Amino acid sequence: MTDKTVQTKQQRGFVNWFNERYPWADFWRKHLSEYYAPRNFNFWYFFGSFSLLIFVGQILSGIWLVMEYTPTADGSFASVQHIMREVRYGWLVRFMHTTGASAFFAVIYLHMYRGLIYGSYQRPRELLWLIGMAIYLMLLFEAFTGYVLPWGQMSYWGAAVITSFASAIPYVGDMILVWLRGDFNVTGVTLHRFFSLHVIAVPLLLVVLVFVHLVSLHHVGSNNPDGIDIKKHKDKNGVPLDGIPFHPYYTVKDLVGVAVFLFIFCYIVFFMPTMGGLFIEADNFLPANPLQTPPEISPVWYMTPFYAMLRAVPNKFLGLLTMAAAIALMFVLPWLDRSSVRSIRYKGLASKIAICIFVISFVGLGYLGHEAVSPLRTMCARIFTVCYFGFFLLMPFYTAKEKTKPLPERVTE
Amino acid sequence: MMRRILSILSLLTILVAFPMHADEMPHGFELSNVTVDPSDIASIKRGAKFFATNCMSCHTMVYLRYDKLAQEAGITYEKMPVNVKSWPYGVTPPDLSLEADVRGVNWIYTYLHSFYQDAKRPTGANNLLIANTAMPNIVGAFQGEQIKLDHPIVNMFGGYHYYDVLKQTKPGIMSADQFDETIRDVVNFLDYASAPYKLEQHRLGVWVLVFIAFLGIMLYFLKREYWKDVKRK
Repeated sequence: MTDKTVQTKQQRGFVNWFNERYPWADFWRKHLSEYYAPRNFNFWYFFGSFSLLIFVGQILSGIWLVMEYTPTADGSFASVQHIMREVRYGWLVRFMHTTGASAFFAVIYLHMYRGLIYGSYQRPRELLWLIGMAIYLMLLFEAFTGYVLPWGQMSYWGAAVITSFASAIPYVGDMILVWLRGDFNVTGVTLHRFFSLHVIAVPLLLVVLVFVHLVSLHHVGSNNPDGIDIKKHKDKNGVPLDGIPFHPYYTVKDLVGVAVFLFIFCYIVFFMPTMGGLFIEADNFLPANPLQTPPEISPVWYMTPFYAMLRAVPNKFLGLLTMAAAIALMFVLPWLDRSSVRSIRYKGLASKIAICIFVISFVGLGYLGHEAVSPLRTMCARIFTVCYFGFFLLMPFYTAKEKTKPLPERVTE
Repeated sequence: MMRRILSILSLLTILVAFPMHADEMPHGFELSNVTVDPSDIASIKRGAKFFATNCMSCHTMVYLRYDKLAQEAGITYEKMPVNVKSWPYGVTPPDLSLEADVRGVNWIYTYLHSFYQDAKRPTGANNLLIANTAMPNIVGAFQGEQIKLDHPIVNMFGGYHYYDVLKQTKPGIMSADQFDETIRDVVNFLDYASAPYKLEQHRLGVWVLVFIAFLGIMLYFLKREYWKDVKRK
């Protein structure tokens, strides 16, 4: 017996020993080597993997940032500058984290859009969609609490404006406001609790939600651009004819996508980390000053669509309700779509027009939420808000009425 | 009805085509462009020297206190005016460590060119970019004195610059070109001050991108190899 065979035998011995005690091999088969994904995934199917990658990146860069960051009103701003200047490669870690936040939303929005156009929220993936929406909501909260931490002017005033939404709630609003801030104003107490939420509470919840999201996905199986069920046609081993093992096929394919993504990501990190004020606003380079309100307070780009809706409504409380309803409607999407087909490829003209209007409205609102208020812009914001709500609220009617195209039996190329 | 729609539409077009900005300067004022170069260390050092001699009597630069280049130029924490209790006119001069990020380099470059004589001001000077600024005209000795023209000839279409509105009345100790170069050095230094890591960031960035591009090509061929056996069954 040669040394080599002895070694493999020993290794196998260990693997067996391990697998008898932990279902690693089962896990590998169920989620990777024998998880059959449709073979016709296109460009839109990269973003799920990307968001997982960014999530891991955010947690890692976050761990390193917390090592040098000081979560107090006196020390926060200076500690960020300390990270940027005196900590070796601190600037890199911080820019990875700030760029990661925006990249996360860019990727998540594209991921959600994919679900929207290919009907990935439809039966049997309603719960998968709901978990995804919960992740999105938590991400918004995570991003908001994170943006407060550098304690710049925008951090401070953003926190002041967004927490002040609570005061619009009738009767108990002021109480809730104090409860949220932990003080009568946005102060170091607020900063400290946001720090706690940002680095422990929300990320923990996100880890659980992402795990549940993946378990749910692998239970019902992935949708595909045709929106048809690949499990209808199986070979004699029970493998879907149009399915291919996720590993190695989609792992190697996603790696190519990851390289392209990282190229863009690193370009931003190294050459334009503030993205012209879009990822890090210029006013946030000024330390927080409770006595001086910046001329324009606007949230970072990924929250601006909802901010534009809030401003479009004249009444503060109603504006708040509009904003909440806009997100709530995304949650109930699976029950609004009455179409017999999933994918936009086979839906009727009405659905196609509706999605176009929706995209224009959402992007338009995002732009308007970033700009100063003017009568024209407010009018546009109102029109877009109506379109946004129209897209969801009219969906049960136009999806049920329109004529759909016949579905193919097997996935198309 | 049709006419009304048309008139509203044309009004909309006008509103969209000519956006109003609530800037401090009247419509059409444009900042002058300056090119900063993080690799031009000599210029940054000259700017740092200028800052240490001319600006640091009022402005601090706290986040540069451990920076070697700044220290060599004489910018040290002990010399910064950090403990001044009361400032003239009640305005504390801002710390300039991050000014280039807050305002942008073009803004600073234009601001330092836009001082003019104004007898109504206690400092005797005013600025185009910050009306009634509390900052005295420090650069006047170098640039010379300027006055603001009452009826400047400005292009109705397209923008106008500070030099369209201001006119030199007394030459300074520097020629116009020398002054431009000096201010460029100062701006270059302020840009360095806001991000001393920038040179390293750009240098490293190139290698990172080259690596990722190479990796991407490798991964693409790997993918192609694997996907050869994916066929329609």
